[in-house]
Amino acid sequence: MNAHAAASSASAPVSVCLGAERLCKRYGAVQANSDISIFIAPGEIHAVVGENGAGKSTLMRILQGIEQPDSGRIIVDDRDVRFSGPGHAFELGIGMVHQEFMLAPDLTLLENLVLGDEPLVRRIGPVSRIDWEAALASGRELAGRTAVEVDWSRRSGGTPVHIQQFVEIIRLLRRGARILILDEPTAVLAPQQVEDLFSLLRKLREDSTTILFVSHKLKEVMALADRVTVFRRGEVCYSSPVADTDIDTIAGHMIGEAGDRTHPASSRRKGAVGEIVLEARRLTTPALEKSHPLHGVDLQVNEGEIVGLAGVSGNGQSELVECLVGLRAVSDGAIFLAGDDITNLPNRDRRELGMGYVSANRRDEGLALAASVEANVVAGSQRKAPINRHGLLDLAAMRRQAGQRLDLLAVRYGALGDAASSLSGGNQQRLVFAREIASDPKLLVVSQPTRGVDLKGIAAIHAILRRFRDDGGSVLLVSEELDEILELADRIAVMANGRIVGQLQAEEADVAKVGRMMLTQGGTDD
Amino acid sequence: MTEIAAARRFDAIAWFDKGIGLAFPFVVALAVASAVLLAVGENPIDVFSLMAAESFGSTRRIAATLSAATPLLFTGVATAICFRSGVFNVGVEGAFVIGGLCGAFVGFSLPAGFGLALIPLAFAFAAIGSALWLSVPGYLLARYEVDEVVSTLMLNFVAFGITGYLVNGPLLSEISGNNVTPLVHEAAQLPRLLPPSTVHAGFLVGLVLVVAYGLWARRTPSGFEGALVGHNRRFSKAIGISIPATIVLVMVISGIVAGMGGASHALGQLHRFADGFSPGYGFTGMAVALLGRNTATGILLGAILFGALASAGTTVQLFSDIPLDIVNIIEGTVMIFAVVELGRLSLRRWRGAS
Repeated sequence: MNAHAAASSASAPVSVCLGAERLCKRYGAVQANSDISIFIAPGEIHAVVGENGAGKSTLMRILQGIEQPDSGRIIVDDRDVRFSGPGHAFELGIGMVHQEFMLAPDLTLLENLVLGDEPLVRRIGPVSRIDWEAALASGRELAGRTAVEVDWSRRSGGTPVHIQQFVEIIRLLRRGARILILDEPTAVLAPQQVEDLFSLLRKLREDSTTILFVSHKLKEVMALADRVTVFRRGEVCYSSPVADTDIDTIAGHMIGEAGDRTHPASSRRKGAVGEIVLEARRLTTPALEKSHPLHGVDLQVNEGEIVGLAGVSGNGQSELVECLVGLRAVSDGAIFLAGDDITNLPNRDRRELGMGYVSANRRDEGLALAASVEANVVAGSQRKAPINRHGLLDLAAMRRQAGQRLDLLAVRYGALGDAASSLSGGNQQRLVFAREIASDPKLLVVSQPTRGVDLKGIAAIHAILRRFRDDGGSVLLVSEELDEILELADRIAVMANGRIVGQLQAEEADVAKVGRMMLTQGGTDD
Repeated sequence: MTEIAAARRFDAIAWFDKGIGLAFPFVVALAVASAVLLAVGENPIDVFSLMAAESFGSTRRIAATLSAATPLLFTGVATAICFRSGVFNVGVEGAFVIGGLCGAFVGFSLPAGFGLALIPLAFAFAAIGSALWLSVPGYLLARYEVDEVVSTLMLNFVAFGITGYLVNGPLLSEISGNNVTPLVHEAAQLPRLLPPSTVHAGFLVGLVLVVAYGLWARRTPSGFEGALVGHNRRFSKAIGISIPATIVLVMVISGIVAGMGGASHALGQLHRFADGFSPGYGFTGMAVALLGRNTATGILLGAILFGALASAGTTVQLFSDIPLDIVNIIEGTVMIFAVVELGRLSLRRWRGAS
């Protein structure tokens, strides 16, 4: 089925609650939305799926009135509208539940519920009191309709995320929203909470609320939605009632044709795999705000191999990395580095034991941008010979070390005293590698190494990783670029929903296979 | 092409930061003072040259300037240690007062038979007392993220209260009026360097501390770590530096230096502890550290500059119609524009945090 057919078949319903027709939006050189048509019937749960950058967020912003489309129509209740702003969209009944909840953490749930639209006791004059009894009654009434227990006097900051999300949803309903847009609502939830959310959404559908549901997780789409629309590269490439389709078909449309992307086997590891260097057993983290919890991650990295960790962003990859390098506490499970239990060691000790870390956040965590190139490249070695001699820094040795490290990876810089921010993105990243490799670690944990790096820089960084591996080092490579993982990794682990959902040897992996595992959360066998 | 342009602009900013930036608050202060002087009908140039003569014109005047600069060397260093690590400790004033009381207490309460040993004992006791004092907000910040600006500022008032009570109660001198402790033993008094001026051996101790601070900052691992923590906490943590340990360490060192400053002032200048012991040396030390960009040389220059202002102010008032307030105006303006720098720093911190 092609895009045109999808659009024409979907335009058939007589009544469209919320929709867009031939919508285009361009940001500079990027065509974020091109000719998007989507029609949502009243009382329908409509899922929108697609990879990162497929154009989902742009459409959501347009439907909320935050962005204006370049061309095309927006339809609300069968009528053309032109949103003057987010307030206008809200007046028409369109409410958005963001991934990051918009509750004031220091107010109680009840206060949050009525914030901005407080029920008042009528008084003469400008002063009137908030009617908390009425507020509580309306909260109880809404909660009662959906059969969820809420302690309204609780401070929202200390409330579990699923309750916060619930309050956020009924807050919108209370203020008159009848079309809800939910942006990846299950990303922060544990499995049981996902079930609760779904039963809430089904109940809302019975009360004729229309729901637009953005997700990466096809299983959830199959379980919940009435209709699914697939975005790819800014276009709608597929749309179908969920009853008439299956996960494989949807995943196929999300990934597209993958035949043109092949990866040479010549770059692969030569020789046998060595001993286990890193082992994670049943790693679990608590569900905290703004994080994606881990639910028992098992992972091994052997000597002399690059293990690629693939997955749609926000499935716990960055949390896993932080647990491994010692920047996040685990609630259960264990981590071993070359046989040593490092689960409860601070990150300094992990580095001592031979772990290097290239952060995904180069600007804030990988580098101190305002500090000198020299300080950045020797940081971490200030207590080791030869830089440290008898408790003092040997400035000459420090300069020599810095120069050697930078030259080894051909980092281009002006002077050692220049701020690290004066380097280009690629050279900044090379500087980070120069520092991390200098201590000769057993394992490098590398997260999004080529983000914001130009093509030449990418090739150089890939060469660094390969050389490190060929010299017997181990690498855990976390990347949202599936191509990068397929090109570099000897083994690929796929992460979804806070778990490792499958592993593949590089020889048997291709974009379609890995992509399907990323999206369907259980591999093809389930 | 664009890369070169960017590099040049970067150089220009660095140059501005080092050169103009250092003098900028002072230049603005002179301009503001000139405006005020013109408004009251005085010739600014005459006044400034009189002030320059009063602070550096003769050996005696220079000695007076150095004497006034002495406590600022200590408080400037104590402040800079924390500021360069991104810890906004404004409690040096309180630590200075606590150190002064501790030093004076050792100086008059131990038997005079200890002789010259009284001096190191007094310094040590003062250093320990003030280090403990500042370790409290340090620990609260490191462990519970209690904002150090608030906690150290409030602790200043606690310090004033405690010392004020003690010098009016248990430690009150029996022979001399109100609000003062007894004089310290003669052996515990720091020798005068250039009698009859009041500049005393504490100035040399201060110089040693400034040099030691410069060495610590540039040549020791913990000094290096402190600077990195000041640049970027998240980065420092990822690189294996313990943020809590660094915070507590710089607070404790800051306390040691401030305490020694208090002891120096008590043993060398007043020879006792008195209520109103410090006319804001800790706060002026903050201006010194900011003006000096936390560098050892900058602190030395800044301390002498503020010392000169203080010593000139008193005599200018005596010998001309110009009120002492003009000095306060200059000091205040320098402070404000040095604090602009502080604002820039904390802005960076907030941006870093978000």
